[in-house]
Amino acid sequence: MPALDAVEATLFWSAVTIGCYLVARFIARRWRFWWTSPLLLTPVMVGLVAVSLNAGYAEYIRSTHWLVLMLGPATVAFAIPIYEQRAVIRRHWPVLLLGVLVGSSIAMVAAFFMASWLGLSSTVQLSLMPRSTSTPFAMAVSDDIGGLPDLTAVFVILTGVCGAALGELLLKVMPLRSSLARGALFGMGAHGAGVAKAHQIGGEEGSIAGLVMVLAGLFNVMMAPVVAFLLR
Amino acid sequence: MFTKMPDPARAFRRSSVLFRTALHHSGLLQIAVLALFWMLGEAVVRLAHVPLPGGIIGMAVVLALLASGWIRPIAVRRGASWLIAEMLLFFVPAVMAVLDHHEFVGLLGLKIVAVILVGTVLVMGGTALTVDLCYRWRARREARHAGA
Repeated sequence: MPALDAVEATLFWSAVTIGCYLVARFIARRWRFWWTSPLLLTPVMVGLVAVSLNAGYAEYIRSTHWLVLMLGPATVAFAIPIYEQRAVIRRHWPVLLLGVLVGSSIAMVAAFFMASWLGLSSTVQLSLMPRSTSTPFAMAVSDDIGGLPDLTAVFVILTGVCGAALGELLLKVMPLRSSLARGALFGMGAHGAGVAKAHQIGGEEGSIAGLVMVLAGLFNVMMAPVVAFLLR
Repeated sequence: MFTKMPDPARAFRRSSVLFRTALHHSGLLQIAVLALFWMLGEAVVRLAHVPLPGGIIGMAVVLALLASGWIRPIAVRRGASWLIAEMLLFFVPAVMAVLDHHEFVGLLGLKIVAVILVGTVLVMGGTALTVDLCYRWRARREARHAGA
């Protein structure tokens, strides 16, 4: 592949990513299975393009970093659905808070024991513990409890990819009556990727998921010193 | 309508009305406004060393402005809906970055994926069951109180 300058590379790789995403989105709307999620299909398609052009990851990431930055404004955008569902939230906030407490505890404890049972190194183990929250929160917690923030960022993304797919499967087998529980499932289990999925299921689910994600992040950052103390 | 107003004040009022009209009609402008709040959040994080993501600060500011009536939800709803609906796109480069970690290929990678898969099922199941049971318990209690 001929060398591209920075602007050309940005335009090219952004166009490839957005193009693959649009195709993946079309497929996901046409055939609704867990494995047709755009979060799985788009990276596969982009990867095929990159491999066929013999392009490196470094150039790709540099050229499409602005797309990742858009997660910032997207987080700000959560304010609108959360505000619009304020009546539901005001009525049920103790239930949601309890869900966040239970979910965060399960996340940490399950990662801790499974990692030690499988004989993973303590660095990997500590980096796995905060992976259910969104990246910036998780990296801060990871640093507090003695993990590697960069490693945690990788686990967070893997959790998002797995969680968005697993959540749909779980919804089919679990008899959940309330949109509150469906939203909390996605917001607690798969952070931003889960919130995006929850919004596809329903507006109320999406807003609850967004709120639960934010609560989970805040709760984890606050609890990090306690967890660090317990681990010593 | 025709009362005398000093020119700068009139110009300001006109431009603010124009901006509001444009904002209500352009999803792109709404996204730009949301991005501005994110940048504000990032600036606060940098200057005050708050251990929170800038997006969360921006979200809190927008929530406060919505609650106090300074912004109406309709003014930014279209842009916000678009950002949230297409959020998976913004994760794609991050997923690609994960694929660059070759040290996880093999048994170590399988173990890590196992921890993540089982852990996520437990977290999702546990959270959803807790919330659903509490919700049903509260609903039953309220129904009993209403019936008594």
